[in-house]
Amino acid sequence: MRHGSLPLLAVLLLLALAPSADAQPKDTLTIALVAHAPTLDPHMHFERVGILVNINMFDSLLHRSAKLAYEPALATSWKAINETTWEFKLRKGVRFHNGDTLTAEDVKFSFDRVLEPGKTTKKSPQYGNVRAIKEVRIVDPDTIHVVTDKPFPLLLERLVFFPIVPKKHVEKVGDDAFGASAPIGTGPWKFVEWKRDQYIRLDAHDGYWRGKPPFKHLIVRAIPEIATEVAELKTGGVDLMRNVPADLVPELKTGPQTYVSSTPILRVHQIELDMRSAPFDKKLVRQAANYAIDKQAIIQKLMGGLGQQVATVVQPPAFGFDAEVKPYPYDPPKARELLARAGYPNGVDVTLHSASVEFRPLFEAMAQMLTEVGIRVNTRMWDPGPAWNKFFQSEGKATNGIYFNWGNYSVFDADAVLHPLFHTEPGGWIGKWYTRVEGLDKLIDEGRSTLNQPQRKRTYSQIQRVIHEEAPAIFLFTQYDTLGIAKRVEYAARGDEWLWLFDAKPRR
Amino acid sequence: MTAFVVRRLIRLVVVCVGVSLVTFAILHASGDPVSLIMPEAPEADRAVLRQALGLHDPLIVQFARFVGRAAGGDFGNSFFHRTPAFGLVMERMPTTLTLTLLSMALAIVVALPVGIYGAVRRGRAVDQVATGAVFLGQSMPVFWTGIMLILLFSVQWRLLPVSGWDSWTSVVLPTLTLGAFTAPLLLRIVRSSMLEVIGLDYVRTARAKGVAEWLVIGRHALKNAALPLVTVTGLQFGLLLGGAVITETVFAIPGVGRLIVGAIRQLDFPVVQAGVFMLAMIVVSVNFTVDVLYVYLNPRIRLR
Repeated sequence: MRHGSLPLLAVLLLLALAPSADAQPKDTLTIALVAHAPTLDPHMHFERVGILVNINMFDSLLHRSAKLAYEPALATSWKAINETTWEFKLRKGVRFHNGDTLTAEDVKFSFDRVLEPGKTTKKSPQYGNVRAIKEVRIVDPDTIHVVTDKPFPLLLERLVFFPIVPKKHVEKVGDDAFGASAPIGTGPWKFVEWKRDQYIRLDAHDGYWRGKPPFKHLIVRAIPEIATEVAELKTGGVDLMRNVPADLVPELKTGPQTYVSSTPILRVHQIELDMRSAPFDKKLVRQAANYAIDKQAIIQKLMGGLGQQVATVVQPPAFGFDAEVKPYPYDPPKARELLARAGYPNGVDVTLHSASVEFRPLFEAMAQMLTEVGIRVNTRMWDPGPAWNKFFQSEGKATNGIYFNWGNYSVFDADAVLHPLFHTEPGGWIGKWYTRVEGLDKLIDEGRSTLNQPQRKRTYSQIQRVIHEEAPAIFLFTQYDTLGIAKRVEYAARGDEWLWLFDAKPRR
Repeated sequence: MTAFVVRRLIRLVVVCVGVSLVTFAILHASGDPVSLIMPEAPEADRAVLRQALGLHDPLIVQFARFVGRAAGGDFGNSFFHRTPAFGLVMERMPTTLTLTLLSMALAIVVALPVGIYGAVRRGRAVDQVATGAVFLGQSMPVFWTGIMLILLFSVQWRLLPVSGWDSWTSVVLPTLTLGAFTAPLLLRIVRSSMLEVIGLDYVRTARAKGVAEWLVIGRHALKNAALPLVTVTGLQFGLLLGGAVITETVFAIPGVGRLIVGAIRQLDFPVVQAGVFMLAMIVVSVNFTVDVLYVYLNPRIRLR
C-alpha cells in the first residue's frame, strides 16, 4: 500500500486539473423537466410537463402576464354578449410555423377537435375543461362567438391554455403524426426534433407576432431524478430546473453559477378529514385539529420559509379569496379543551394517509403536533402509484384523513379548488368520499352558475366562512414555486407555475 | 439434445404465460387507469373510455384476449402514447441491453483477474483490498452509487456528463454504477471457487510435472472453477436488468426500465405487460444459454 498511494495521488491531481465541461452555446436555452408528455399535441394529454412545452410552441386566444393578468394573445379583445355568449376578435396576420396564416377556421377547428360534437367518446382528455362550450361560431373572418350551455365563469381561465392548431395541416398529417413528429403552432418556438425520454429540440419562429424570442434554440431535456437535475444545473448541462427541494435551495443560492427564483403559487396544502366516521364526524374535533398545528414553524423550519399560511383552501391569488377570514392560530390548550368537550378527554387514535412523498417530513411533523394535543396519529405513507390510486381514488378507503396538495390546474378561481375538494357529486374527487357539510354543495353550484363576478365573490366569501367554521380539513399553507436557474439566464418564477420562456433573456 | 431443447422451450412458454398472468393480475388489481387518464371527467365519460379500452369486460375475458393477441406479438396500444406498446418497448430495448451487457462485461473483466489473483495470493494486500471493496460494493445501493459518481466525476471534477445518452462519455458513469453493483458478487464467487480448486490433487499434479504456473491456473484450475461463475453470471443478468431500471432513472437514460416505471405510475397496462414480458424473455433465454454452456464446460453433466 505504501507504493500504491502515489499513483492514486497523481490520478487525483490530474483529475483536479482537468478542464471543466464545455459550456453551452450562447443562443441555446436548455431546461430540465422530470418527463416528457406522451405527445406534443397540446390537446391530447393532461400533463403539466406537456403543457409547459406546448405553451412555448402554441398560442391560445388569451395569455396571462407575469403579473397574472389576462393579456391579448391570438384574440385582441373579448367580451360577453350575454350570459352564455362570448365574442372574440382575432389578431390579424398571425403566421403558423409552416407559413400559413391563422384564420377563424383554425380556431373553430381547434375547439371542435376537443369538443367532438355529436360523438359520445371524446378523444381529448381536456374535454372536461371546456365541456361547457356548446358551439363555436364564425361570425366573420376576424370574429368568433363561443356559446356555452349555461353561464360559464371559468371560460376565460380555460382559454389561457387552449392552444390553436392549424386545421389544414392537422387534417393533412393526421392526429398521430401531428403529436409525434409534426406539431405546428403559432408560438415563439417551432419543432425540430424529439428523442423520447431524452430531449425535445425547438428553434425560434422567425415570423412570430410578438417578435423574435431572445434564445434561438430551446432544448427540453427529460431528467426524472431531481438530484441529477441539480447536478446538471451546477455543471451547466441545463439552465433551468423546477421544484428545487427546500434543502437544496441554499446550495443553489450561493453556487457560483446558479441562483434561485421563487414565488407564491396556487398549490395549497391541507389534511382533508373524513367526516363520515368518528372522530372527525364531530366539528369540535376538526376544529381542535386546526388549532393543534403550528403552521408558521413548519413553513420556517421545513419549507425554508417558502410558504404562506391560509385560512381555508382558497389561495390568496385566486378569484374569490377573502382576506377577512383568518387562519386558525396555533393554540394547543384550546385544541385540548375542544377535544375534551367533544367527548375525548383522554385523546383519540386516528390514521392519516399521504402519497406526497416529497413532503413526508412535513407530514410527520404535523402528525406529531396533533399527537401532542391528544389526536394520536398513526401515519401511513404511500407510494404515489397504483396501490394508492386504488385505495383512495377508486375506493375512498383512506380514513381518517389525507395530507395532500392541490394546484387548481393553474386556474385562478376558487371554484377550481372548492369543487374537487368539497363537492360531493359522484364525478367529484375527494369531496364525494369525505365531505359532509350541509348546504355546501348548493353554494359551490351557485358560484359556478353565473357570470356576475361581484355576486360570485360574495358566494365564495360565504363559502370560506362556512368551511372555516365547519373545518372539513386542517387548513395549512400555500407553497412556492422554486426554480433553479443558471446565472447566464435571466428569468423569474411565475405564480401560475408556467415556464413562459419568451421572457427568458441571456444575461450580459 | 433435441429432447432437451424441446423440453426447455416448453418450459419457456410456461414461464412466459406465468409472467403475463402475474403481471396482468397485479395490474388489474391495482386500480383504474381511466381515472388517471381523465382526472376531471364525469363518470359517464369515463365509462365510455373504459368501454373503448376494453376494461369493462370480466377479467378472464380480458386475459384471454390479451394472451391471444400477445401470441401474435400484439400487446395493444399504450393508453397514454396511443402507439403499439410492443414498439415502445423494442425501441428502448437496445439501450437497456447495451447498458446491461457493458456493465456485465466490466464486472467480469474486473472480477476474473482480481478474484483469481486474490485466490492465488491469498491474504496479500490485493486480496485484502479486494475483499474490502466487495463489502463496500455490495452494501452500496445502486441509486446512491450513481449519485456519488455524478458528484465526483461530473460536479467536482467536470470530467464526464451528468446524465443523458448521446455520446460514449455519457455511457461511462452508468456502466460503472451497474458494474460496481455486480462485480463484488462475481469476484467473491471467482475467488472462492478458485480457492477450492487450487487445493485439489490434479492441480498439485500439474504443478508437480512442471506445468508453467500461469497454465496451471489459467487452464486447469480456471476451467473447473468457472462453473459456478457461469451460473451466477446468468442469475445476475436478471438482477442487472432490475438494476438498470434504477440506473436509467438516475442518469436519465431512455431505456425499458424507465419506460416501465413511468407506465406503472400511470397504470398504462399494455406497456407494463409488454415491457415485463420482454425482460422475462431475455432472462429466460440467458438461463437457457447458461444451461447449454454447462455441457461444454463440464462434460459430466448430461442433458436429460
